[in-house]
Amino acid sequence: MKVEKTDMLPQKAEIIEIKQETKTNLNIKTFRLRFKDRSQRDNFQFKPGQFMMLTVFGVGEAPFGFASSPTEKEYFEFSVKEVGLVTEALHNLKEGDIIGVRGPYGNGFPLESTEGKNIIFIGGGIGIAPLRSLINYVLDEENRHKYKKIQLLNAFRSPEDTLYCDDYEWWENTENTEVKYTIDEPCEGWSKCVGFPHTLIVEELNYELPDTRVFTCGPPIMIKFVTEKLRELGIDPAEIITTLEMRMSCGVGKCGRCNIGHYYVCKDGPVFTLEQLGEMPDEY
Amino acid sequence: MMIKKISKERFKKLFDELKEEYNIAAPILKDKGKEKILEYDFINDFDQIVWDRQPDSSPKNIIFPQNSMLGNDYKGSKYYDDNLSTIIMGVRSCDIEAVKVFDQVFIEDDSYIDDSYKNRRDKTIIMGISCAEREDSCFCDSLGLDPIESDYAPVYIFKDEDEFFIKIKDEKYEDLFEDLPKGDQAQLKALKKQRKEEFKESSFTLDIPTPLPEKEMFEADIWEEMTEKCLGCGVCTYYCPTCYCFNFFWEGEDGESTKYKSWDSCMFSSYSVHASGHNPRDSKGKRYRNRIMHKFSYHPLNYEGLACVGCGRCIDRCPVNLDIREALKMTEEYLLEEGGDESGKD
Repeated sequence: MKVEKTDMLPQKAEIIEIKQETKTNLNIKTFRLRFKDRSQRDNFQFKPGQFMMLTVFGVGEAPFGFASSPTEKEYFEFSVKEVGLVTEALHNLKEGDIIGVRGPYGNGFPLESTEGKNIIFIGGGIGIAPLRSLINYVLDEENRHKYKKIQLLNAFRSPEDTLYCDDYEWWENTENTEVKYTIDEPCEGWSKCVGFPHTLIVEELNYELPDTRVFTCGPPIMIKFVTEKLRELGIDPAEIITTLEMRMSCGVGKCGRCNIGHYYVCKDGPVFTLEQLGEMPDEY
Repeated sequence: MMIKKISKERFKKLFDELKEEYNIAAPILKDKGKEKILEYDFINDFDQIVWDRQPDSSPKNIIFPQNSMLGNDYKGSKYYDDNLSTIIMGVRSCDIEAVKVFDQVFIEDDSYIDDSYKNRRDKTIIMGISCAEREDSCFCDSLGLDPIESDYAPVYIFKDEDEFFIKIKDEKYEDLFEDLPKGDQAQLKALKKQRKEEFKESSFTLDIPTPLPEKEMFEADIWEEMTEKCLGCGVCTYYCPTCYCFNFFWEGEDGESTKYKSWDSCMFSSYSVHASGHNPRDSKGKRYRNRIMHKFSYHPLNYEGLACVGCGRCIDRCPVNLDIREALKMTEEYLLEEGGDESGKD
């Protein structure tokens, strides 16, 4: 039989490391991957904010945003929360197993236009994953000088649900960078912030610096409250940037399902400014 | 341009010559339970072709198979050879314009070109056929299409009783028809004129701005009421010649697994549901709104022209008689009442 030309078949990538992120609730793992093929490994390029379609062979395929920075040349990472069929199958895999990957897809975060600005990151739970790709990119020693003050507000349900603990020391010790952590409710032994992130912006973040751009991602309800608060505080909606998730099959704007009005989240997004979202139908 | 005129017998001979070099697909009657249904399929026998009415389904399955195995050719029929190009015979204006929608989405949009579609399409020659009579449910002319002839097919058939005019509009294909007796241009013109005059006028007229205003119609409160009786069966999308949504499926274990591409339907609740359970289109009204808006707002905003060709099959096939013409009328009335008069993005 003749082979039909298509790039919708995934390439093979090896799981080189699996990190259990969350503690008692074991539902988030970070997968470190690299292509089986050396030349693919060398030629692979992506932008923070883009995503890949990951395939568990025989089970299915789903989109995941990069959780690692492209400045890491030897591997790329995805954090996966166990919620459905594909994520459950991913969680059952072990180091050395092979999965399918295709991409990168999507527009990614605006890198060039962010240069010279102050940056605030507000992330909640697994929503920190796509932000981490950009956080680690801007904090990378090659890039740090391009940006002014960088502030992070990381929100988790509880101390048991924190992610990327290995990054904290590096983040906190980078110059002109401030990192805050919050959990939903007070908890013994927790001395950092408590409360939902939108209630902490005024107190904990210096949002009034001129030329500030905010990147936020988290559960839909968190994004809603955070963006509303930021707008209320007078931040230009064009400077409030978020990334959306949708059910997807193709990743290239053809299969249909991820549209918001005439925009396709996979192709026109997943990164949108609040200004853009305001022009789109409320369908996400 | 070249015009030929042939008898039925001569057409049969032409068919037999062509089938040596091409796969030929045409509308034929097929058994579906107790019903006979007129569908496009690959055939070997000219006499099987039914010319005189609109096929029950469009030739979508020929250029975009309902199920295909990625990495493998399309094997739909014993009369299909993947090494040959395909001639689709007897395609009406509505279905030809629908192929244009597919071409826009899968080939002409350079943000992503679907190679498997393009490959199949590059090897497809459409022989259109002029409509002689209006079916009860079709309304292509209400949407600005011409049922007598579409410019998008390179070769066109005009059936006149037992004779056939063949108009070859694309020089590329003149060789195929060169040996046939010449047809008289004036005679064909007269036939077309007569057709136009005799063609029953559509009782359906539509006065809506297109693209439909995206946000205004999205927020309109007409959709749930419109779809109260909808069963969410998706039959409208399967018979729709322009619906192209698809999904992937995996079968088999690990390295041995195979990926399939299959038609999907925005009328299914599972279509847009997230793994978390959240569904941006969690009601029939929202799903139907997406279907109508895709055809009359989103597609025209992203490409050009409507993504509805007025073939009327969704009306014929709907088990609860949900009629897209009525939906469009409700849209028209809503815009009149609410004073929306601007098309496109508001």
